[in-house]
Amino acid sequence: MAFGSIITNRETFDVKHAFTATILSAAVVSGSAAFAHYGMIIPSDPMLSQEDGRSITIDVSFSHPFELAGMELVTPVSFSVTHDGETTDLLGDLQSATLMEAAGFTLEQGLDRPGVYVFAMEPQPYWEPAEDSFIVHYTKTYVSAFGDDEGWDTMLGLRTEIEPLTRPFGIWAGNVFEGRVLLEGEPVPFAEVEVEYFNEDLDATAPSDLMITQTIVADADGVFSYVTPDAGWWGFAALNTAPETMAHDGQDRTVELGAVIWVHFEEWTGE
Amino acid sequence: MRAVLACLAVVASATVALAHQLSVFAFVEEGQVIVESRFSNGNAPQVGEVRVLDGENQVLFALDLAEDGTATFPLDPAHADTGLLIEVTTGGGHDNYWILTPDDIAQGTGG
Repeated sequence: MAFGSIITNRETFDVKHAFTATILSAAVVSGSAAFAHYGMIIPSDPMLSQEDGRSITIDVSFSHPFELAGMELVTPVSFSVTHDGETTDLLGDLQSATLMEAAGFTLEQGLDRPGVYVFAMEPQPYWEPAEDSFIVHYTKTYVSAFGDDEGWDTMLGLRTEIEPLTRPFGIWAGNVFEGRVLLEGEPVPFAEVEVEYFNEDLDATAPSDLMITQTIVADADGVFSYVTPDAGWWGFAALNTAPETMAHDGQDRTVELGAVIWVHFEEWTGE
Repeated sequence: MRAVLACLAVVASATVALAHQLSVFAFVEEGQVIVESRFSNGNAPQVGEVRVLDGENQVLFALDLAEDGTATFPLDPAHADTGLLIEVTTGGGHDNYWILTPDDIAQGTGG
């Protein structure tokens, strides 16, 4: 008998909720245009164990994650994975996919060795007429393979980036998540950070539109902290305005630079 | 036999959630099985024992870890279709395992 057949029968740690589907009202969805944009990199498993297999799938998108309102994501400028100090270009491995009813990408990625894999995307500038601005969200997420968390604080040197001060996986819902906002490698005092839940099963409702995106401000060292109310994927987007402008319809427009990190919080399993 | 191996794996998995968790990994390269182990703080265990079990849950042999937390032994092609269970025990309640699946072996042997 092969071990491969045993693995499929072994009990694995299920990180997902016993979600109860709730249908959002049309009124809530229709109000999505003014809500936060997020670049998204969502792996099928933030902590791959050997019982789970040797690969993960990754969805790459651009959306309003609470309302599951997707926007077109064109082929990014870059998409990569960094592991053990080595960065590998994965741009050519992205497969077109429809995510949240919009164009996005997916890929299957083997994880060959234990450790932390950091997936990152630099998208092409997205013109947002409602904000009269371009949006560029440098997006990343961390995946642990086979029980090894070495490298959880890896930084990629992105133009703007959130440095995790809390291990960005294997964290309980209700724990504090702390990070530092960097722009051009320097901390950003009093940076604004938006926080939003990936409402992938539409289990969450918001009593007010104000509740969809949480807004916090970092301290003088660019450090922010946040406690999520529930398990699941949460996106943290630190927003700054680039010093340069980009032309659109013959006029110079501002460019919003977002440093986005996606973190999965696990449901507390105790009593 | 499936139930026996499943129980073995469940028992093993119940021991892994300790501070300074021991991480175990194994792969095949050039006909050798290479076992790597280290604690969650990055340090390699200085001493430890490796037990190698076959697909029938029989202990094939045991060997000592090297000081860098590794061990190496030749792959018996007879186990390519069944896989190997590799347990590492370092004392102090630190132990863990890696299941070298038939797919893992095939990947390492170009099969």
